Amino acid sequence: MTKFRLNGEAVEASSPPETPLLWVMRDEFNKKGVKFGCGVGSCGACMVHINGQSTYSCITSLDAVADQEVTTIEGLSPDGDHPLQRAWVEEQTPQCGYCQSGQIMRAAELLEQNPKPTRGEIVDHMSSNLCRCGTYHYIIRAIERASGQG
Amino acid sequence: MSQNDFNMLSRRTLLKTGGLVFTVGATGLLSGCEGDHPPEAASTLATQSSVSPNIWVTLYPDDRIKIMFAATEMGQGSMTHVPLILAEEMDAAWDKVEVETVAVHDQAYGNPIFGNFLYTAGSTAVEGYFDPLRIAGAQARLILLNAVAEHWDVPVGELKTEPSLVVHKDSGRSLAYGEISGFAKMPQTLPSIDKSQLKPANAYRYIGKSVPRSDVPSKVRGAAEYGIDVSVPDMVYASVLRAPTQEQTPLSVSDTKARQIKGFIDLVTLPHAVGVVATSYWAAVEARRLIDVTWSEKTPGSAFNSEDDLETYRKTANDLSQNGVIWRDVGDVDQAFEGASKTLQSEYLSDYAYHGAMEPAASIAHVKDNGEAELWVGTQTQSMTILGVAALLNIPPEKVTLHPMLMGGSFGFRVPLHEQKWAEDALLISKAIKKPVKVVWSREDDLKTGLYRPQAAQVMRAALGEDGSLLGWNQRVASESPLSFMNPIRWKSAEGKDIIAMNGTESQHYAIPNKRAEHLIMDRHARVCALRGVAASYTAFAAESFVDEVAHFAGQDPLDLRLSLCADAPRARDVLIKLGEVCDWRRRRLTLGENVGRGIGLALAGYKKSLAAGAVDLSVDRATGEIDLHKVWIVADIGLAVSPRNVEAQLRGSIVYALSLALKEQITIAEGETEQNNFYDYPVLRMNEMPEIETHILPTENPPTGAGELGVPMVAPAIANAVFAATGSRPRHLPFLPERVLEVLNS
Repeated sequence: MTKFRLNGEAVEASSPPETPLLWVMRDEFNKKGVKFGCGVGSCGACMVHINGQSTYSCITSLDAVADQEVTTIEGLSPDGDHPLQRAWVEEQTPQCGYCQSGQIMRAAELLEQNPKPTRGEIVDHMSSNLCRCGTYHYIIRAIERASGQG
Repeated sequence: MSQNDFNMLSRRTLLKTGGLVFTVGATGLLSGCEGDHPPEAASTLATQSSVSPNIWVTLYPDDRIKIMFAATEMGQGSMTHVPLILAEEMDAAWDKVEVETVAVHDQAYGNPIFGNFLYTAGSTAVEGYFDPLRIAGAQARLILLNAVAEHWDVPVGELKTEPSLVVHKDSGRSLAYGEISGFAKMPQTLPSIDKSQLKPANAYRYIGKSVPRSDVPSKVRGAAEYGIDVSVPDMVYASVLRAPTQEQTPLSVSDTKARQIKGFIDLVTLPHAVGVVATSYWAAVEARRLIDVTWSEKTPGSAFNSEDDLETYRKTANDLSQNGVIWRDVGDVDQAFEGASKTLQSEYLSDYAYHGAMEPAASIAHVKDNGEAELWVGTQTQSMTILGVAALLNIPPEKVTLHPMLMGGSFGFRVPLHEQKWAEDALLISKAIKKPVKVVWSREDDLKTGLYRPQAAQVMRAALGEDGSLLGWNQRVASESPLSFMNPIRWKSAEGKDIIAMNGTESQHYAIPNKRAEHLIMDRHARVCALRGVAASYTAFAAESFVDEVAHFAGQDPLDLRLSLCADAPRARDVLIKLGEVCDWRRRRLTLGENVGRGIGLALAGYKKSLAAGAVDLSVDRATGEIDLHKVWIVADIGLAVSPRNVEAQLRGSIVYALSLALKEQITIAEGETEQNNFYDYPVLRMNEMPEIETHILPTENPPTGAGELGVPMVAPAIANAVFAATGSRPRHLPFLPERVLEVLNS
C-alpha cells in the first residue's frame, strides 16, 4: 500500500508501486479529470500537482508520491470556482475540453508563483501543454483575466 | 397505455411511415410533410407526464424541455448551438432546455446534407439542421399556441409567446409551457410550417447572441465524461498489440511471461492484432510488453514506402496523357490549352498527416450472450458506427445499443463504417471473454494505426491568352481514394467522385472560362480518411499558390489578380477587399520583401459554401530555413453566425490546426510501418509557436454555413505565398519543414 494525500485527504493506494500515477488516479481513485494524452510527458493532459508543483502524472510512478500531497483538477477548488476555472468559463476557453484539466493545473501553478505574469511569461510556462483544438489564445486570455489583467 | 409507451409508439410509428420528415421544396420554400399521428396521439390523458410535439422535442410539466441533438460533440460547440436553433423558434427558455444526443441510426434525425445519415462531418451540423430544427421549433410552438387558444377559447392570433410562456395580452393571462404540456392535445395532423411563419432574424433572442456553451462548466472541473472515462460494472481492460503492418496476422502467441503480471487475465487473438486482457489497464499494458507473437510475413500490399509512392504519384500527375476522374469540368479545357499563347505548369506535394486528437481512441463494449451489443464510444456518426458494429458482429442494427460519448477532439477520424478499429477491438474481445471490456489505445497505437489524410502530388496548369488573361485552369490531383476506404456506403453513390480527395479544387469563385479538376486515383496502401479541412488542406495549397505564380508571371499584384477574377463573385470580392484593408496589404507589400527576408502572402479559399480569405506575415531564416510567423488574418463569410463567439473560436482553432499541419506535421511510412510514434517525433504546434491571429466575420444575411474547418484551406497557400514574397523561393512540399525550405532557398 502506498500512502499519500489526495485532494486534502489521506489515502492508501493498492496499485503496484511502479504504476504511473495517472492510472492510479483514473482507475483506482476515479479521478477521471486526469487525462491520458501521450504517456510520455509530451502533452500535459495528465498534469496534477505534487506538493503544489505541476507534474506529468503519466511518467510519475505511484511510489514517488508516497507521503506527498497530490492535487488533481477535482481538488483544485471545492466547487469548481477557482479564479482560473471561473475565467475559463468566462472566456469560453474549452472546445473539446480534453486538455483543459492539465492546462488549468499548469496555469494554477504559474499564478501561485507569479500572480501577475506577463504575456511572455504565460506563453513560456504554458507551452508544455498541447491543445489540438487550438484554444491557446483563450487560455492566455483566461489566465490574464484570472490574474486581474483581463 | 402509459405516456412513455405512447411516446415510443408515436415516434416509432412516425418513423416507420416516414411521417415527420421535413423537406425543402424545389422552390426553396420550406414545407413540413405532414404525417398522421396514430389514433392514440389524440386521446388526451388526464395528467400527461410529458408531451412530444414532434420527434425533436419533449415538454415536461416542470417546464423542462428536452431537445434531441442529432449531431455529436467533438469540441466544435454544436451540442449547444444546434439545439439552440430549435429553442429559438419554439421560444423555449434556454435555461430549461436539456439536450440528449440521438443514439440510434434513425434517418428521421439524419443530416439532409449526408443523405439523412447521422453524420457530423464537413462542417455541416448547423447548415444541415438549420431548416429542419427551425421548422420543428415553429411547429412545436404552434401546437402549444393552438392548445392554449382552445383551452381559453380565444383566437390563436391574440396569443404570443415569451420564453417558455404563452401570453394573452388582452386578459393578462399566461401559461408556462410546462403547464400546457399537461393538457395539450396532439393534433391528428401535425401542422405544416411555411417560411413566412418562421421568426424574422431581428426577433432572435439567442441566434447571433453568442449564448455560452453548455458543456464548458463541466469541462473546467474535470467532470465531463469522455469515451475513455466510461466505467461499467464487471468491466475488464485490454491493451491491443497490432501487427507491424496492416495485413499481417498473428500465427502463434505465447503468454508465458505475461502471466507473471498480477491482474493478467488472457490473450485474445484478433484478425490483425492480439488483445491483452487484465483487471487493470496498466496491468494490460505491462503484460502486452511480455507477450511473444509470431506474425505472418509482410504482404507486398502492406510493405510499402510512402516516399516511393509519392514519387509514383508525382510522375502520374505530370503525365498529361493520363486522365483522371473528373471532379469538375467547365467549358472546354483541352481547347483552351491548345489555343493558349502561353501555358504555365507547376507541381505541389503533400505528405500524410495524422489527426492527433488529444483523447486517444478508446471504447467500452459489452457483447452479450443474447446477441445484443452495447458500445460506449465517441463517434462522429451514430449511423456508421451502429451499422459497422452490426456488420462486424453479424447482428441486426436494432441489437446495437450505442452510447455516443463526448469526444476529446476528432478532426475527422471517428467516421469510417468498417475501420473504427478501436471499437472493433473492444467488441471482439468482449465477445471472446464474455465480459464488458474497455480498450484504450496508447498514443503510439493511435498514431501508428491512424487514419491519415492522404498524401498527394498535384500538377497545376494554366492557359493564358495573348493579353495574359486566364483562359484555362487544370488541377490534377494524384492520391489514394479515402472515401472508398472509409465509407463504402457514401462511395457507392459518389459515382467515382471522391470528395475527401478533391474538395477545394473547384476554383468556384474565379471567372475562368475553362476549368477542370481531376483525380488520378492511385492504388491504396495506407488507411486514409478525412482530416479537418479535408482535401482543401492540400488542394487549396496547390491552387492558391498557383494563382500567385500566375500573378507573378503576369506582373500583377496577387490581390488585384484575385479581385479581377472575382468580378462576378461579390461574396468573394467582399472578403478579399476586407482582407486587403485589415492586413494593410498594399503597404506591407511595399515595405516587406526579399530585402528584409520578411513577406506577406494571401489566399482566397472557402470551404464549401463558406468563404474565407486569409493573409500571413512571416520571416524566413535563410540560414536554417525556419519560418517565423508574425501574424495571421482571416476574413470569413459564413452567412448567419448562430454564435459569433463560437465561430471566432472555430476560426482560430482551425487556423492553429492548419498552421501545425503546414509547418510541422508529417507521417512517413517505411516497409509498411509508420515511422513516427508520439508527439515527440510528430510535433504539433505549441503556444510559443503561435502567431497573433486577427479574425473578422462579415455580417451577411445568407443562411448559416460551416465554420469549423474554414480556417484550414487558406493557411498553407498564404504561408507559401508569403515565403515567396520574403525570399523569391517557393516551397512546394507540405509540410514546410526547415530542411525543405532551405532546399528551395538554395536551389
